[in-house]
Amino acid sequence: MHTPLRSARRPRLLASFAATAFALAALNAQAKGVSDDDIVNDATITTQVVTHGLGTKGQRYSPLDQVNIETVKNLVPVWSFSFGGEKQRGQQSQPLIHDGKMYVTASYSRIFALDATTGQKLWKYEHRLPDGIMPCCDVINRGAALYDDLVIFGTLDAQLVALNKDTGKVVWRQKIEDYKAGYSFTAAPQIVKGMVITGNSGGEFGIVGRVDARDAKTGKLIWTRPTVEGHMGYTYDAEGKPVDNGISGTTNATWPGDLWKTGGAAPWQAAYYDPDVDLIYIGTGNPAPWNSWLRPGDNLYSSSTIAIDPDTGKIVWHYQSTPHDGWDFDGVNEFISFEYNDPATGKLVKAGGKADRNGFFFVNDRTDGKLLNAFPFVNRIDWAKGIDLKTGRPIYDEEKRPGNPFAEGVGEDKKGKVVFNAPSFLGGKNQMPMAFSPKTGYFYVPANEWGMDIWNEPISYKRGAAYLGAGFTIKPLHEDFIGAMRAVDPVSGKIVWEVKNNAPLWGGVMTTGGDLVFYGTPEGYLKAIDARNGKELWQFQTGSGVIAPPVTWEQDGEQYVAVVSGWGGAVPLWGGDVAKRVNMLEQGGSVWVFKLHKS
Amino acid sequence: MKPAHPARRTVCAALGLACAAALPFVAAGRVLAAAPALQPGADPLDSSRWDDMRRAFFADAPVVFDDRIAVTAPFSAEDPLNVPVAIDATALGAVREVLVFADFNPIVKALRVEPLAAPAAFGLRLKLQQSSPVRAAARTADGTWHLGGAWVRTSGGGCTLPSLGSGSAEWQQRLNEVGARLWPGVGHGDRLRLRIVHPMDTGLAPGIPAFHIETLEIADGAGRVLVRAEAFEPVSENPVFSFDLPAGIGAAGPLRIRGRDNNGNLIDAEVRP
Repeated sequence: MHTPLRSARRPRLLASFAATAFALAALNAQAKGVSDDDIVNDATITTQVVTHGLGTKGQRYSPLDQVNIETVKNLVPVWSFSFGGEKQRGQQSQPLIHDGKMYVTASYSRIFALDATTGQKLWKYEHRLPDGIMPCCDVINRGAALYDDLVIFGTLDAQLVALNKDTGKVVWRQKIEDYKAGYSFTAAPQIVKGMVITGNSGGEFGIVGRVDARDAKTGKLIWTRPTVEGHMGYTYDAEGKPVDNGISGTTNATWPGDLWKTGGAAPWQAAYYDPDVDLIYIGTGNPAPWNSWLRPGDNLYSSSTIAIDPDTGKIVWHYQSTPHDGWDFDGVNEFISFEYNDPATGKLVKAGGKADRNGFFFVNDRTDGKLLNAFPFVNRIDWAKGIDLKTGRPIYDEEKRPGNPFAEGVGEDKKGKVVFNAPSFLGGKNQMPMAFSPKTGYFYVPANEWGMDIWNEPISYKRGAAYLGAGFTIKPLHEDFIGAMRAVDPVSGKIVWEVKNNAPLWGGVMTTGGDLVFYGTPEGYLKAIDARNGKELWQFQTGSGVIAPPVTWEQDGEQYVAVVSGWGGAVPLWGGDVAKRVNMLEQGGSVWVFKLHKS
Repeated sequence: MKPAHPARRTVCAALGLACAAALPFVAAGRVLAAAPALQPGADPLDSSRWDDMRRAFFADAPVVFDDRIAVTAPFSAEDPLNVPVAIDATALGAVREVLVFADFNPIVKALRVEPLAAPAAFGLRLKLQQSSPVRAAARTADGTWHLGGAWVRTSGGGCTLPSLGSGSAEWQQRLNEVGARLWPGVGHGDRLRLRIVHPMDTGLAPGIPAFHIETLEIADGAGRVLVRAEAFEPVSENPVFSFDLPAGIGAAGPLRIRGRDNNGNLIDAEVRP
């Protein structure tokens, strides 16, 4: 029995096909890809934000000045978007903006595409996570990368997923490492010369730190560079087979026995790239385990900045800010390329600046890693009396290293002597990226003032288990503040101004041509400060703690500012006595967008 | 008629794939053979969602209700998480694609099959949220959609429950593992039965994102794709599929099963005859 339906309307079929074809052609013309030029020039193309750091150098400086010290009082919300669900944990994502669309990641390995002017949701991808993931510091994600028609982000089970940026459909997916061994991934990938550059996370589980370069279009590995001395690096041939590309360093030069096989040094933050000197910069985490008595030596390349040649995958130089770390002073913080004129010679210096977990601000020559300047950016540093500018090494106070649990007379519990040390293991600065203004010449550093009691215990490696050998508790140093937004002059080594904050600062910073510094606080405010003198000009309550870096862009002649809000991250999980200052904060999960009110 | 007798399904579960050949594609007829003479456009299953279905899937394309496409499903599904459905559209001749959908499921579309070089006969298990028509629509070369279907009664809840696997770590270890066997001389040629370890989460259970197999391809030993399928959220957890393939298809070497889920996890298995 055949019962035709609507057969009389069949001629309309052709017409509707034609209309669809036309609409598709229009759509294709509209959906622009992100080019290599877009990426290397991101810092100056004000209509987009296609890299983590507002440019691969990571300066987080936008030349936009429509919103400035005069007009910022008229900054009002345009839209807000909720990440929804019951998954309101820490939100640390830096949004990306391209072609009128925003790409923003959220807790639990989610990513959203939104219309940048209206906040309307275009698509969502929610990664199905296994139960056994082991992120040390909340289920956060710091952002995505854009390349061609792809948006690429990493997941908590250590996978890299590339989606079509217009449809949200998975195009390729690659495993970074085995999450069951403690690997995870939270950083934003960075695109360098058509490659997607990623590190890994898991330094608390005795993993092996590594930087990978993949073909951004296909996800195929191009090279991989371990960040623990002794491990072989590889390049990959056309069939994807590894080819030896030299061991990182010299086996057992700075590690005893087999300890390097579980040496940590995870580069768990984003890589940055300076096209001028053609080097990738990435920081590495603490050596594993925390108990430094088990691993005499410098333990390269832990707690370092390393510079990698993108074409060869080899380490060109390294600078270790905390050799033989015993305090969880990861060296992962961003090394930001900048220039200054040497006060003595007047010569232009190609430098890089880094505010380290260990409390010192380091300025290095970014072509060869030579230390140019090092000074404290926090009020109190116990573990070292300073940095020797000649040798580039810290002048340790050995009394401030947690006591040896294997020494005679320690007692049966094998707990070494407890020491108080500042900064705490959460650092003078943690994951929140700072900003540099070429206009003022200052770095804007979200610093924290806190110390810790720390002691060492015996520990042995067990796959997938925490590998610390240390106990600790954090203590604030001041009654009235932990956080301090500081303008730091990298040449004079002076703190020019500061804005104190009761809770620890955990969001990143952005500065603009409008002489403004934008940053968020755990108390929920997005703030705008005068970049020259630290005067507070504007703030807005986002409804939950801000622990993510803001961005700005221009669309149809108007300057927009966006920030993600959602309290969480490492502080409430590890915060010790600090908990009192943050346990009243409520969770959230949303992105806020602002522009100037037109009267 | 009870095509999927409860007792038989229990035996199937116990014996795994060994009983695959025993589960027949029973000729349809329960609903369609008993259907009254149709008014033009009237839905023989009398579903209040039919107009929506027609708009969603067929737009202005010609649609006929056609008893040459047989949809076999239990009259009453006692397990709404695993409703066995068999589809046989071979009586239509060359078929370009077959869509399987259930009108009253919160996610309507379950499976799309392109029998590129194979008879248009296959089976699957799906989740049903409530009693619903389960339909198969086969598109022939002239662009006409031929519709068959059956009502399945169920207590419901199939789509909004967490997958059983989500409560255990097993899927995390065995994700996309394939168990398969080719049964010569069964169905319209040789029948391939396969089971893939996958939670097939619908995204409707609180806190669990949609996670399902998206594409599946079966190729012969020479690399020729025989069947291409697109799966959606309502397909059952650890899905079991049957595909009828041309007789003697295993002679050219092992069959290759390839596919991918919506997270980009790959499926890749070989079936040796």
